[in-house]
Amino acid sequence: MNYSDLAGRLAQIGERIARHSEKLEGEILGRSAGKLASQLDRFEEHLESHLASRKSRELFLENLLRSPASKRHLTIALLKRASREVGGKRLKSEDLAAAKREFIHLVHGAGKQDQAVQFLKEVFAEAVHVESGGKEKTLLQREFINLGQLLDEDFAKEISARSIAELRRVAAVNGIRFTDKTNRQRLTTLIRRYAQRAAFNVPAARVASSD
Amino acid sequence: MSSKVLAFINFKGGVGKTATVVNIAATLAALHEKKVLIVDLDPQSNSSLWLMRPDRWREHVARGRRSTFQIFDDALQGKNRFDFDEALVKGVITWTGLTDLPRLHLLPAALELLRIEDRIHELRPSAIYQILDSALGMQFKQYNYVLLDCPPNLYSTTKTAIFSADSCIVPYVPDYLSLSGFQVLAEQVTEMREKFAPYLPGRRRPNIGALIVSHYRQTGNVFRLAVNELELSMAALREAGVLSEQTVLLQPYVRHCVRVAESTSEHLPVILYAPGSIGAQDYADLTQRFVDLFETKK
Repeated sequence: MNYSDLAGRLAQIGERIARHSEKLEGEILGRSAGKLASQLDRFEEHLESHLASRKSRELFLENLLRSPASKRHLTIALLKRASREVGGKRLKSEDLAAAKREFIHLVHGAGKQDQAVQFLKEVFAEAVHVESGGKEKTLLQREFINLGQLLDEDFAKEISARSIAELRRVAAVNGIRFTDKTNRQRLTTLIRRYAQRAAFNVPAARVASSD
Repeated sequence: MSSKVLAFINFKGGVGKTATVVNIAATLAALHEKKVLIVDLDPQSNSSLWLMRPDRWREHVARGRRSTFQIFDDALQGKNRFDFDEALVKGVITWTGLTDLPRLHLLPAALELLRIEDRIHELRPSAIYQILDSALGMQFKQYNYVLLDCPPNLYSTTKTAIFSADSCIVPYVPDYLSLSGFQVLAEQVTEMREKFAPYLPGRRRPNIGALIVSHYRQTGNVFRLAVNELELSMAALREAGVLSEQTVLLQPYVRHCVRVAESTSEHLPVILYAPGSIGAQDYADLTQRFVDLFETKK
């Protein structure tokens, strides 16, 4: 059921009660009506508070503070910065959950929900920014494909001309996992194996890189 | 309203197409205050069944009338029985029995869509391409985002979606079978762009805008190497003119998360079912990148 369905149902019930109001009587119906009225009081209270918080964007701010993005990216330091920049005040709480409550209270009091939402949105957007790896990544990926296409002898010659640091860069950019203890020979074996695989699996790359 | 129409395509099944559509749409609505429409074009009706309880879905789409099937049936019969407002499902019903995410709307699919492919060739190819655009083009303008969930094939229904779209999104699982399929898919989309060109005067022709990696696992080399091979393949396809320079591999990669699988049985997007899960967090970050990509692009 959505809220329009609920509104329709309430309107229909209201209309029936009004139509038959002079005929309605008895204890069972009276008790049930009493319960409904008290439930309606509570519902009206929630509805009022919801509409007010929606209007003031308090609800959206609370949702944002409870969101998965907040769980991953929001730290107490960031929240303190938000408080200073948005509300012009320092947060006293050192616990994140308490700090969130304090922040909401502060922002709501200052009527700065829009600024707080904007601040958090920018922080979350910044947090997911990923560097593309730039030209160096592209060059090292191209080199990897080229290495995969070489015959054993040419591959050995190419590899011998490179330092271990260069080999590590080629391996790291191309998804090969290694540790500080991985020696040159092992690294060379890994690069050879996976570069050959890449050259084989990416046939279009073979065509393009030979141009 | 400036709307973005995006077709989620891949002719390989099991790549997380529906999970991507449902969870990005829900996150756009919940955290970015966007008005979003999901159009389910897959006869398997997975987006519909993810967001609607089966009894309610069956009742809603009975005989295909209030579903995307009706759009195609009308085109075939030369009739006009599809009623957008009647077919539309607004919001998602939560455990309270009432709806949440009022900005998220769904046009559900019905199993009857299975019959469409056999009959659709009675129409001219140009008429087939334009079915969805003619029926829904005006309605799309009410939304910030329209996500078209396509079946795992490149038959006529998918072609109508690609024709209507500003851009295509390719959900992808990092393994070799997906890689080989992607190269073919990219070539097919390029071919379609050429075929569609005469019927899209003054409009940007659809291209692959982004790839989204799902079912990612960080352990060992396996997935890192497979993603690297995808990047290599994308670079080669760009050089060959098959992929545009603007096509991106969106990050973060969505990790395998049992709570996402579980959320299908609860008929809720993961952001409502398990907002603290890594699945919800990955989709939140991915959706942020999605917004950055489509709202800064000119």
